[in-house]
Amino acid sequence: MEWWGDRKPIFRQSNVPVFQVFVFMDPVQIIIDGQEITTTKGTTVIQAAAEVGIDIPHYCYHAKLSIAGNCRMCMVEIEKMPKLQIACNTQVAEGMSVLTQSPKVLAVRKAVMEFLLINHPLDCPICDQAGECWLQDYYMEHDLQDSRFDARKEHERKREIFGPNIVFDGERCIKCTRCVRFLQEVTHTNELAVIHRGDHSTIALFPDAVLDNPLAANVVDICPVGALTDRDFRFKVRVWYLHKTPSICPGCSTGCNISVEEYQNRIARFKPRVNEAVNSHWLCDEGRYCFHDLTGGERLTTPMIRQEGGLVPTTWEKALQAVVTGLRAAAPLAGILSGRNTNEEAFLFAKLMKTLSLDAALEVFYHERALTEVQKILMSPDRSPNFRGAREMGVSSNGDFESLMQKLLAGNFSGAYVVGEDIFGADGNPEDVRRALQKLSFLVVQDIRLTETGKLAHVVLPGTHFGEKEGTFTSRKGRVQKLNAAVVPPESAMQDVEIFMRLLDAAGEKMSYSSPSEIFAALAKEIPGYRGLDYAAIGDLGTTLGGGEATRQ
Amino acid sequence: MEKILLRNIDTPDSHKISVYQSRGGYGSWEKVVREITPEQLIDEVKASGLRGRGGAGFPTGMKWGFVPKDNPKPKYLVCNADESEPGTFKDRLLIEKDPHAVVEGTLIAAYAIRSHTAFIYIRGELTFGAGILEQAVEEAIAAGYIGKNIFGSGYDLDVIVHRGAGAYICGEETALLSSLEGGRGWPKVKPPFPATNGLFGCPTVVNNVETLAALPWILDHGAAAYASMGTEKSKGTKLFSVSGHINKPGVYELVMGYPLKKFLEEDCGGVPNGRKLKGLIPGGGSMPVLRREEIENVNLDYESVQAAGSFLGSGGVIVMDDSTCMVRAAWNLAHFFAHESCGQCTPCREGCHWMEKIFRGIEQGKGEKGDLDLILNVSGNIMGNTICPFGDAAAMPAAAFIKKYRDEFEAHIKEKKCTVRME
Repeated sequence: MEWWGDRKPIFRQSNVPVFQVFVFMDPVQIIIDGQEITTTKGTTVIQAAAEVGIDIPHYCYHAKLSIAGNCRMCMVEIEKMPKLQIACNTQVAEGMSVLTQSPKVLAVRKAVMEFLLINHPLDCPICDQAGECWLQDYYMEHDLQDSRFDARKEHERKREIFGPNIVFDGERCIKCTRCVRFLQEVTHTNELAVIHRGDHSTIALFPDAVLDNPLAANVVDICPVGALTDRDFRFKVRVWYLHKTPSICPGCSTGCNISVEEYQNRIARFKPRVNEAVNSHWLCDEGRYCFHDLTGGERLTTPMIRQEGGLVPTTWEKALQAVVTGLRAAAPLAGILSGRNTNEEAFLFAKLMKTLSLDAALEVFYHERALTEVQKILMSPDRSPNFRGAREMGVSSNGDFESLMQKLLAGNFSGAYVVGEDIFGADGNPEDVRRALQKLSFLVVQDIRLTETGKLAHVVLPGTHFGEKEGTFTSRKGRVQKLNAAVVPPESAMQDVEIFMRLLDAAGEKMSYSSPSEIFAALAKEIPGYRGLDYAAIGDLGTTLGGGEATRQ
Repeated sequence: MEKILLRNIDTPDSHKISVYQSRGGYGSWEKVVREITPEQLIDEVKASGLRGRGGAGFPTGMKWGFVPKDNPKPKYLVCNADESEPGTFKDRLLIEKDPHAVVEGTLIAAYAIRSHTAFIYIRGELTFGAGILEQAVEEAIAAGYIGKNIFGSGYDLDVIVHRGAGAYICGEETALLSSLEGGRGWPKVKPPFPATNGLFGCPTVVNNVETLAALPWILDHGAAAYASMGTEKSKGTKLFSVSGHINKPGVYELVMGYPLKKFLEEDCGGVPNGRKLKGLIPGGGSMPVLRREEIENVNLDYESVQAAGSFLGSGGVIVMDDSTCMVRAAWNLAHFFAHESCGQCTPCREGCHWMEKIFRGIEQGKGEKGDLDLILNVSGNIMGNTICPFGDAAAMPAAAFIKKYRDEFEAHIKEKKCTVRME
């Protein structure tokens, strides 16, 4: 750890893909810093070096973008070549000998660093990027000299709003064009371009363009410096204070791998984690900022039970007993689980509901909307990240959520247990839903806030959100991935698995799992498709259903 | 000496096709299309020893030979008429006075690489020349030299005159291609090279105006006749643009290897007003300056000028007499390069402006001890580390001025003022 925290931002660690060596690819032997390496034809020197853990410094190179070759930071010495070459654009050749630490190479890195910094405002104390800035990192590694530049620095546009989530500082920009290339090559939305010439070169929006495409905020992640910063995260917290927890985006069922970054027990931001099987390096803006809606608002502070005059606080013991008694007496039962509940929670919820009533109708909250072409790059049409897994755990009664709601509205149930979703307005007219819920003889709502649905409940249980729990999600495409607790729930809340276990206990079905991994082990014995899956093997990148083995990419 | 490149320019109405034809114009083109294969044409030009006249001096026939024959993509020939090198104005003369030689050369080169579309990319500021070229192309189309089934051979060729938007960097061949593609005039990262991945990703050859203008004569008179002129490695004739402190500035055609001193004193009439020569840039603003004593035995060919520590470049000879402040001259050039740096890669974008600021400081009497070594160091940090040769073009002259006139720079710094113009 350097003084500013984690030296390498998450996206940089895996910046270079680990190439799989296919048998039909021509092997090439090269030497990097004396180390003999076998790689494949077509690989570039920067990639070959990364394969063996040699990180050649770079700014403009990005594994998922075209080669720009403009930063000149990755220059290396190659035997028999008179001039230094950029490692990002030099393909390996048999017998090639590369030096990444020779005096010439170190001198050029130092020179490039000096050039990059002469017009830089050196405003680290007020820059959000500080602590995860490649200029800072490389300055410490490759420069470490006082500036020899004492002329007037060129000034540029400051604090220019590029879009709802992005603000631009032209003076910090190193013109690596990663943002421009991302918008040309990944989203094809082309909002940005380089304008002007020489040291007046700068990034700018096309006339009338706004950087608000559904993946726009990725430019903040790939910007190696403080030129593009996140308006949502801006000035909230110094990055070296953040605790980073690998997890899964709760925004939709794509299952983008994320790092949940927390400060003082609050989620400060999401950052994408590289997973080539799912989201590559990216995260959509909707997912990136969804934690505000999913965690904000006033938390429930205590279980509540309906008495004359409304909901009043009660103890967990009384509340849970009331739930078991109330639901048992209220069959036919409907159980609605949020798609943000984990597989482990769904597994227990299904068991609980079946214990309370064998005929309980269960479904996972689900709602689809149409997606634009750019949205389709990453986003799924739902907002239920684990709808597939929860259904596979048994929260499904041969129908779908919509038909269950129809039955609910038609008055087919007298009891219902709604977890983690406000079903008002989920389908049809909210007033219809209200009337249907009011007709129920017993309604249990488990959530983190007192929702409109909760206000009609007979018992309200304070649960936990995605950021407070450990467990697994199964993505739309069938990838089982691990959610980790990034923040600690309030004292008044109880883990959803804990609530279900205690209810099962009260209903006479004692389940004594002490951790999500134990529940997973149980469901892996029971649920088809999950058989043989090993919780520990899921790792940070997940595993595919049926395979049983975590695929690392 | 027989004039090759300037053979037509003194003829009245030399820009008209009828005049060009009356002097044998398009005869080479007809011969090429009717009688020889592209391979034979390439061999002929290789045998002539013709080297690129844009500044790099790369053998023309060899450059054509790099275009892959089996590539199914269209191939493009581009005439680089983006003449912008400081002190260079030879292509402009050819464009304005002998446009059909340029067009005929373009056609011949296109044929060599089996191109069916050729572009003439002309510097944006050369509006007059662009009009002349467009007129020449129209005339050549009307005469059947350009178009479908030329001379009944089945060979089709179209020529498009494209005006640049005014950037020095677009004279660099890959920046030119970016500009021609409709993009920002940014040099492309190499490899791949234009011969395989040029314009729109297709095999492309970019040749300078003067190079192309030499082709009709070479094909008319034969490679041997051309190769019989000049030195062992520098064949034929070359145009020199002479400017600055010289009695007879202008464009001269010389056989390669012509003695520089003789050229200046006899052909160009020497330095005016009885002043003495102080220094000279032999190949356009991006080449290192030479001191008076360094040019004593220099001949005007690629090898001799290089041996003296500079380059023949574009043949833009900038003459400076002893009233010239070399600090100001260096600053002037540094300013040009800082202004024209495209800004794509780090060392050039930042370094050119940095050097300009230091030069300006010295000339303005704000120079400090250490400034000269700093410029030398900065120029060294640019050299060889950039995407395109522009970095070297900016760094070389800056370093050369300091190395060769260091006492003058030091006097500026010490006296805090210009020490030359005060005399």
